[in-house]
Amino acid sequence: MLKEKKDEALDRREFLKLLLGTSAGLILSPGQAVLRTKGTRDTGIKVIVLGFDGMDPVITRALMDQGQLPAFRALASAGSFQPLGSSIPPQSPVAWANFITGTNPGGHAIFDFVHRNPENYLPVFSASESIPGRRNLKLGRLLLPLSSGKIRNLRKGRAFWQILEDYDIPATIFKIPSNYPPVKTKQKTLSGMGTPDLKGYYGLFNYYTNEYKAITEEYGGGGRVHDVYVIGNRVEARIPGPNNPFRVGHPETYVDFKVFIDPVNPVAKIVYQNQEFILREKEWSSWKKITFEFIPGQSVTGICLFYLKEIRPKFKLYVSPINIDPEKPALPISTPESYAEELAEKFGPFFTKGLPADTAALENDVLDEKEFLYQDELVYQESMAMLEHELSRFRSGLLFFYFSNTDQRQHMFFRLIDRHHPAYEERLATEFGQVIASTYQQMDRALQLAMDKADKNTVIIVMSDHGFNPFRRGFNLNTWLLQNGYHCLEPGVKPEEVSLFQGTDWSRTRAYGVGLNALYLNLKGREKYGVVRPEEKERLLREIAYKLEQLVDPKTGQKVILKAYLSQDVYHGPYQAEAPDIILGFNRNYRISWSSPLGSFPRELLEDNHQKWSGDHMSAPEVIPGILLANRPVKLPDPKLEDVTAGILSLFGIKIPPDITGRNIF
Amino acid sequence: MWWLMEGVGFIVRLLLLPFSRFNPWLGLLFISLLTSLFLLFVYKKISNQEKIKQTKNQIKAHFLEMRLFQHDYRILLQTQKNLLLANLRYLTLNLKPLLVMIIPLFLLLAQLNLWFGYRNFSPGETFLLKVRLTPSVEVDRAFLDLEAAPGLEVETPVLRIVDENEADWRIKVRQPVEAPLLVIINGEKYWKEIPAGFSSLQKLSPVRAGQNLWLQLLYPGEKPLPDGAYAEKIEITLPEYRLSFLGIRWHWLVAYFLLSIIFALALKRFLKVEI
Repeated sequence: MLKEKKDEALDRREFLKLLLGTSAGLILSPGQAVLRTKGTRDTGIKVIVLGFDGMDPVITRALMDQGQLPAFRALASAGSFQPLGSSIPPQSPVAWANFITGTNPGGHAIFDFVHRNPENYLPVFSASESIPGRRNLKLGRLLLPLSSGKIRNLRKGRAFWQILEDYDIPATIFKIPSNYPPVKTKQKTLSGMGTPDLKGYYGLFNYYTNEYKAITEEYGGGGRVHDVYVIGNRVEARIPGPNNPFRVGHPETYVDFKVFIDPVNPVAKIVYQNQEFILREKEWSSWKKITFEFIPGQSVTGICLFYLKEIRPKFKLYVSPINIDPEKPALPISTPESYAEELAEKFGPFFTKGLPADTAALENDVLDEKEFLYQDELVYQESMAMLEHELSRFRSGLLFFYFSNTDQRQHMFFRLIDRHHPAYEERLATEFGQVIASTYQQMDRALQLAMDKADKNTVIIVMSDHGFNPFRRGFNLNTWLLQNGYHCLEPGVKPEEVSLFQGTDWSRTRAYGVGLNALYLNLKGREKYGVVRPEEKERLLREIAYKLEQLVDPKTGQKVILKAYLSQDVYHGPYQAEAPDIILGFNRNYRISWSSPLGSFPRELLEDNHQKWSGDHMSAPEVIPGILLANRPVKLPDPKLEDVTAGILSLFGIKIPPDITGRNIF
Repeated sequence: MWWLMEGVGFIVRLLLLPFSRFNPWLGLLFISLLTSLFLLFVYKKISNQEKIKQTKNQIKAHFLEMRLFQHDYRILLQTQKNLLLANLRYLTLNLKPLLVMIIPLFLLLAQLNLWFGYRNFSPGETFLLKVRLTPSVEVDRAFLDLEAAPGLEVETPVLRIVDENEADWRIKVRQPVEAPLLVIINGEKYWKEIPAGFSSLQKLSPVRAGQNLWLQLLYPGEKPLPDGAYAEKIEITLPEYRLSFLGIRWHWLVAYFLLSIIFALALKRFLKVEI
């Protein structure tokens, strides 16, 4: 399986590697203001918002009816429960940005996980941008930075907690997605989805093994396999760290480590720097600190987990992505900077990487289902402890608290509740078919915690950014464009060998797909080699959108794309011009394929998804709305994410600013 | 040798006893003050105070000379040479007291490290027990076992590192421990104290040394292993302790030297000591 993956042009994790190539070392920043004070006003009314990523209204309703979510049921009977309209497209960064800013993507400029650079048609990460320091003094192989690097949050528009700050209303925002680096504020905020690991990736695990199939194997952003040898009951290897900004060429830093294995017992000792610890086979370590030195006196520290998967007959050691150490953050992850440190002091090291669950490790059989769940359970337990802590000191204003477990586990376990999924396995379904339901029950316990702490002046809002549906079939958008004459390759180029549009004849290409829901015209004056004249744009867009909406899967007889939205029709705001031209709203069970978002042209137009990543949310928003519950009636019919923002501001008596398009839900 | 270290240890224990229930800073302040007094006293007795005073005056005079004749390079060079010689003389005069003081100071520092260098285990914490065997015993052939005191849980089977001739275990502290842990090697039992569950200032020993004199000097907290023992040393991975002050976590040695210097400078006039 690993070999097969390597043969693909680029997988979704590899392209993230391209996007997030700048690691912690290259953007060492001088730091933020250390001492700030959040809003201090005693608001009387208090608002608790629990954000459960990807919690689906259909599943929630079914479990509530079965009596499995008592807290949800109690909240719904006290107020309301209804679907919450998601964003177009219903991807988390876009959806949460809608909520954060109270507007649509035209107002906050996050349109997809991935945007494209019109200068070279290559994908770029949509949420943040790392800019290395520009001026360096070169002394032989040594580089002395004369200016610091920067990380920029690319989301535009004001966050609602910044508006609360204007009114001196305190807010604590815990791990909300689309807020890395955290925007400038005096409020307490901790960044969530979008926060990279210490290497600058979305999460790069390391896997050390002498198993034959993994030898020399290396796959992109998700993980790196290291070929090791067990000699005399000893293994020697190295853990790669961030790139070194103080050396010419920015080589990768690393830390050497040794593993001593007992000749008989299934137990081993891992030794590096000043750390040494013993693990039994199939045992996880606690958080371990690791320091990567650039030059004497300059280093960064991260934290990671070790998992000794197997000692014999094969040696298998997993090392989690190296998270930014919250005690000494190398990159900005909180406001004020001391907030992360304060949490670290109370709870010890904790997950700081945006989406902590290592879905890539499960996808690649480095971790199995049970091991993946063990790790994600650590995330849940940690979140619960921190929620309890924040609730215990919540006196005034707003508390937003985010859980990622619902999203991550549905992505990986939907195949086991969907008998028609190509990756469905009876044996695994028996063992793990209840994972999603039990995850929802865990969210119920989180809600119960909040309800227990709430008084009569507390408004509780429970929301999710989108729902979920199975991802059974993948659609190759670029292949479709090629087959329909909208995209052209150079003569002699074999479509299935192309990645990142290498081989595209831009002088004859009228449209291309980059990202997970986005289609762009090769527009003259906008794209570097644009050919579509502005006066042709409207007709061409409508023609492509119409054809896409007519597309039927011959295998199932179902429509693939429910709605092809023209951004000019659905987005409004100052950044509408930066949007993709068409946003695909897939039908239930469908999604973009794995390789199409990266400018590839697989042979088949539609293909079965055999991967463990089996649930998704790239459909038309009406297919997968999120959830909205509150302990007071929601009066607005068909509420959307941005309406919740307006509702929150209204609860505090704040007049809705003109750039917020949402309407008060209460 | 052990009797000497035990004697120093007894004195330090006696001195720190009143501070055992207070913040460790108090104990460190007190011991730094005593050290300064002791060192000043020894320095005054052993050094040639008159010559030191004379040499310091000469150094001051040379500095003055440099200011006065800063435009005359010939004199300036000559003065710098004289200054250098005076400095060398000053260092030589300090050599004798330094040599005399270094031995008691080393013995004292080794003891203080046991009091201020580590913190004891809290319930729930784990640590490694590492037993280095003598060359006469092969770790992969030896019978190895532990008798853990109540409150300790041995979490892993023995891990034998043949290259190092070492046997390791991971142990969890469940509750305060009062009895030592017993390591059994080929039927012989060797004890090791496990400090767990007591929060006050106390002596904590990470290593029980064998017959290696250097190890005995560095870790004088426990009676060395008997001659002919199967173990060279028994070690536990005690967490390091830092003293907090002004938001900075100070290594005790840095704090101790800073305090001793401050006290010495403050007291030298009263004790009429020329440093």
